[in-house]
Amino acid sequence: MSALPASSPPAARFGSGRAVRRVEDPVLVQGQGRFADDVSLPGQTWLAFLRSDRAHARIVGIDTAAAQALPGVVKVFTGADLKAAGVQPIELPPAFKRPDGQVASAPPKQPLAVDVVRFVGEPVAAVVAESREAARAAVAAIMVDYEELPVVASLAAALAPGAPEVWPEAPGNVLAEARYGDAAATEAAFGKAAHRVSLELDNQRLAPSPMEPRSVLAYMENDRLTMRLSSQMPTGVRDGLAAGLPGRTEETVRVLVGDVGGGFGMKTGIYPEDLVVGWAALVTGRPVKWQAERLEEFTSAAHGRDAVSHAELALDAAGRVLALRVRTWANVGACPAAVSVVIPLLIGPWVITSIYDVPLVSLQLSAVLTHQMATGAYRGAGRPESIYLIERLMDAAAREMGVDPAELRRRNMVRPEQMPYTNALAQVYDSGRFEKILDRGLVLADWAGFEARRAEARARGRLRGRGIATFLEWTGGLALDEDVRVDVTAEGFIELSSATMAMGQGIATSYVQLAHDVFGVPLERIRVLQGDTDRANGFGSAGSRSLFTGGSAVQVASVRCVDESKKLAGEALEASPSDIEYREGRFSVAGTDLGIGLFELAARQPGARIVVSGTAKAGGPSWPNGCHVCEVEVDAATGAVEVVAYASVNDIGRVISPVIVRGQVEGGAVQGIGQALSERVSYDAGSGQLLSASFMDYALPRVDGFRAFKTEFDESVPCLTNVLGAKGVGELGTIGATPAVVNAVVDALAANGLGREAERVQMPLTAEAVWRALRREFPSVLPLRPA
Amino acid sequence: MPTLSLRLNGRPVNAEVETSTLLVDLLRQQLGLTGTHIGCDTGQCGCCTVLVDGLAVKSCCQLALQAAGREVTTVEGLAVDGRLHPVQDAFVECHGLQCGYCTPGMVMSTVALLEHNPRPNEAEIVDALEGNLCRCTGYVNIVAAVQKAARTMAGAA
Repeated sequence: MSALPASSPPAARFGSGRAVRRVEDPVLVQGQGRFADDVSLPGQTWLAFLRSDRAHARIVGIDTAAAQALPGVVKVFTGADLKAAGVQPIELPPAFKRPDGQVASAPPKQPLAVDVVRFVGEPVAAVVAESREAARAAVAAIMVDYEELPVVASLAAALAPGAPEVWPEAPGNVLAEARYGDAAATEAAFGKAAHRVSLELDNQRLAPSPMEPRSVLAYMENDRLTMRLSSQMPTGVRDGLAAGLPGRTEETVRVLVGDVGGGFGMKTGIYPEDLVVGWAALVTGRPVKWQAERLEEFTSAAHGRDAVSHAELALDAAGRVLALRVRTWANVGACPAAVSVVIPLLIGPWVITSIYDVPLVSLQLSAVLTHQMATGAYRGAGRPESIYLIERLMDAAAREMGVDPAELRRRNMVRPEQMPYTNALAQVYDSGRFEKILDRGLVLADWAGFEARRAEARARGRLRGRGIATFLEWTGGLALDEDVRVDVTAEGFIELSSATMAMGQGIATSYVQLAHDVFGVPLERIRVLQGDTDRANGFGSAGSRSLFTGGSAVQVASVRCVDESKKLAGEALEASPSDIEYREGRFSVAGTDLGIGLFELAARQPGARIVVSGTAKAGGPSWPNGCHVCEVEVDAATGAVEVVAYASVNDIGRVISPVIVRGQVEGGAVQGIGQALSERVSYDAGSGQLLSASFMDYALPRVDGFRAFKTEFDESVPCLTNVLGAKGVGELGTIGATPAVVNAVVDALAANGLGREAERVQMPLTAEAVWRALRREFPSVLPLRPA
Repeated sequence: MPTLSLRLNGRPVNAEVETSTLLVDLLRQQLGLTGTHIGCDTGQCGCCTVLVDGLAVKSCCQLALQAAGREVTTVEGLAVDGRLHPVQDAFVECHGLQCGYCTPGMVMSTVALLEHNPRPNEAEIVDALEGNLCRCTGYVNIVAAVQKAARTMAGAA
């Protein structure tokens, strides 16, 4: 790897490690951003979807005549029309196995339903019209004749003996299963254990809910289909469109993404709606726009989490973990994508032993079909589920043994001298000093002073509790290499082209800071170009990968650009490149006053620019980790929970943009608090109707929630597998906050006479749930007794 | 179609609208002012907040015709000669935005608050922003930005 050029300013005010104003912000605060819905075209038509209002029904007939006859209607089409035209459904790749060893198969995601609808909100028909109002009026005029079919709208219903099957090729509604570890050795370890604890845990279904709904504008441009939409992965969407639309190839589809109004994993893949809008533009030859209503986002944009587990921990008399045994059922909905299965059956397990040296595991994980929307990635994607599980178990074990929960964790942590450490799932941690992070977290949270605060709260009639989560997570999104192209232009700009996507995480600012380290030119001279598949292609932004992969590539490409430009400068100045020095936008011949500016040099090149690409490949995923400590107070009369203190120490390796990473951790923690206390996607168990279909029913955290975070970063343990030494940060706060908050509530209840019974509470810990818990009423969550 | 006249960001505007046209659609579609965002279309998220006669209004819940004869201010109307409004500047300075989608609504609610209450305490800030959702920031730096803007504007007054 190249070192930074010696000429780079050692203490640049705006480079990496410095707090700067984000380059994204001046435009965004003035309303001058360009979000997907902000672009309209002359002659644009509007598309609206008719969606299923049944969870499971056969489509007997669709009568579109009345709709077609309404004024302003351009075209009405159904699933049968698209199928006849050769538009392909999105199939589950054959990468998973059923319990009987057969290749897993699930209902394909049809662009518009064919013959059968399988969840409320599934698109059934579409109307293209001259105005949005005309399109909506025509949707209301379409008549669908449904024959109701039996519904399995919960895990329990799907797994009940003799349950109706969502898909004939998934017997018993079990789509796929994965087993890890050594079941016999684990059983033996449990047999000889001094302490055993078990928990039933519901990691409830969530709606990612970026504030920007989906919006798609499709139009033809010289026979090429251009799609402007909101996505974290433009290349993946382009490839999906090329695969699904008849006659289209990756060369004849272009995807453009402007500002992305939040993603959180929900905008990582192609949606059936994208295919429909694209096809509508192909057949009408006119620009077509679809704006998702928030209701459509709740019913038909990917949900997250939704796994129920029976989790057990065996420990010896000294409190050392002997074995972990887990049985999980993940509700992946009716028409899952690959990611629906990858998250609970592959990625989640990788971190299930977290930062603890757990010698034995036995995991049995099932992906179960139900008549609900498919699950997908949501901030953390598998790691929150696993970390919640192990951190709840750690607290249960500490309570069982009468040991301080921080002390029990300390006894089990992987030690620095064990690095690189291979965990029970064969994942290799490159670095981490977990006990150091714990020690600092305990100081920051004033761990020792808690009992006094508990007593003071009790005097006020409030039940105070404290929870801790010490944990790590895996980042990288299964894609560790990234390219960046650097263009130095005669107009005086350095352009960085990348296939990663900005979505609020400030990646453009971080890239500009990294390029500034190398080039030393003012920040406003450096631009980041993203969101155009004609310019750059790659995996995109997900799994907290962009900085340590794309940022590394920015550094590598920038250094290469300076090196290559030295040769050009040598030619221009008639000197040997080895005598050329570079500093802050200017090349000079050592020991002389001869020189040329970087941009002037660019002006002299063919095409009036210098173009250099660079690739960086990380040697492995990064393993950010942290210690999060939360204190809550419970109002015993109402059950209302208030977060009253939150301290966290985070190891994200080298920090490039201090203000940004703090915002990521604290904003992420509020999302984690949302899962712990208020958010839940709720379907009616009988009919499969979606009950949480607006922001009145789906309770996002609001401004009146907790904000007084104490947040620190420990930069002493750089990541060893990328040139920056950075670890992913985007999901850390979300992963840590949920268990820290729930452990605190359980602690408050346990200390108020419930003891270990308090561990039976389930998220979200609404006032009602906690009020019931105080009366020893607990929900039952396991769909089956584990064998 | 009825015609309406209003003052928009200090300038007179005439437009023909349907009786059912929402204020947000007049702004975004007919007048091309896309800084006012639609986050939920049901009056719950506050992304579409604008000022009507100085009061914060969710423009997805008001008919365009209701703004006839009134003074409407959108996020595009705050900066003067390219210089950010103190509230906009405070959001940048305090990292009060991440994706920026809720930001115009947050900024407009803040401008309305500070116009009527130049020195709000924290509880008053929380009360004023209760109708604005943000999924990115956790509101930490949004409240800090409002406090900073209040200090700046008090100093300038």
